[in-house]
Amino acid sequence: MRIACPFCGPRGSEEYTYLGDATVRRPEGDAPSEAWFAYVYLRDNPAGRHRELWYHGAGCRSWLVVERDMRSHDILSVAPARDMALARGRAA
Amino acid sequence: MSDTALAARSPLAGLLRPGRQGARGDLPGVVVQERTGLQIVSLAARKGQEVPLMAAVRAAWGIDLPTTPRRVGDARLAFVWSGPSQWLAVATDWPGDLEAALRAHLGGLGSLTDQGDGRVVLRVRGPHARDALAKGMAIDLHPRAFQPGDVAATLAAHIGVQIWQLDEAPTYEMAAFRSTAGSLCDWIVAASAEYGVEIVEPG
Repeated sequence: MRIACPFCGPRGSEEYTYLGDATVRRPEGDAPSEAWFAYVYLRDNPAGRHRELWYHGAGCRSWLVVERDMRSHDILSVAPARDMALARGRAA
Repeated sequence: MSDTALAARSPLAGLLRPGRQGARGDLPGVVVQERTGLQIVSLAARKGQEVPLMAAVRAAWGIDLPTTPRRVGDARLAFVWSGPSQWLAVATDWPGDLEAALRAHLGGLGSLTDQGDGRVVLRVRGPHARDALAKGMAIDLHPRAFQPGDVAATLAAHIGVQIWQLDEAPTYEMAAFRSTAGSLCDWIVAASAEYGVEIVEPG
């Protein structure tokens, strides 16, 4: 599998480390325990498009959000996680 | 009192012996050399300071910091892209302390860390340098994809390296963490043996 790093270009998956689901959002500190349980443990396993966090550790050391088709392993989009966090309104 | 001054010691001392190895022929296919006399400082822009940092570097040294994987500068002082808003400043025979010089000009715009003692830099050149490197690197080093001035942070023989091309000989330089110097050298010498490899004095 090859992932096109937005900074380095296409690289093999051996340069990356997989972290996990990029769709979960950390709850507020005073959120109910159910929200924290869901954030820590509950994950969807979609047959199709999914967004994942990958770390380009052997390259530019950027965190990336990779949209991937779980059935075909097609990479649909790759974006810096930082840009996506900023777009969500998180402070830089 | 004994003299406790620390002496600089190459990570390749005793490992990379000058001489010819591998296939015999008139000219070696690959020439390998450890770079010495370097100062290396990593530079990372502080939050939101990329633009003023680039302006400060331009004002001080006339160099435009690369925002893509490129090396800009000359043998005396070059900036090598090493990630988004991150660079390695590499200087040869710099008079004085490079980190102090950078800090004087860049102040609070960027974070500076001396990396000179932590890296090894190998120069690999010759008509078969590309063939030898290709044995352990997944990136495309063909001239249509990688040219003088281009930089890549990638793996070579499973070792994390930063590689940049200097000229069309082709000549490449690879920077890696010091602790990996022995493995990296063993690999490049073994990969180059079939083309004939000349190991030259560090310089």
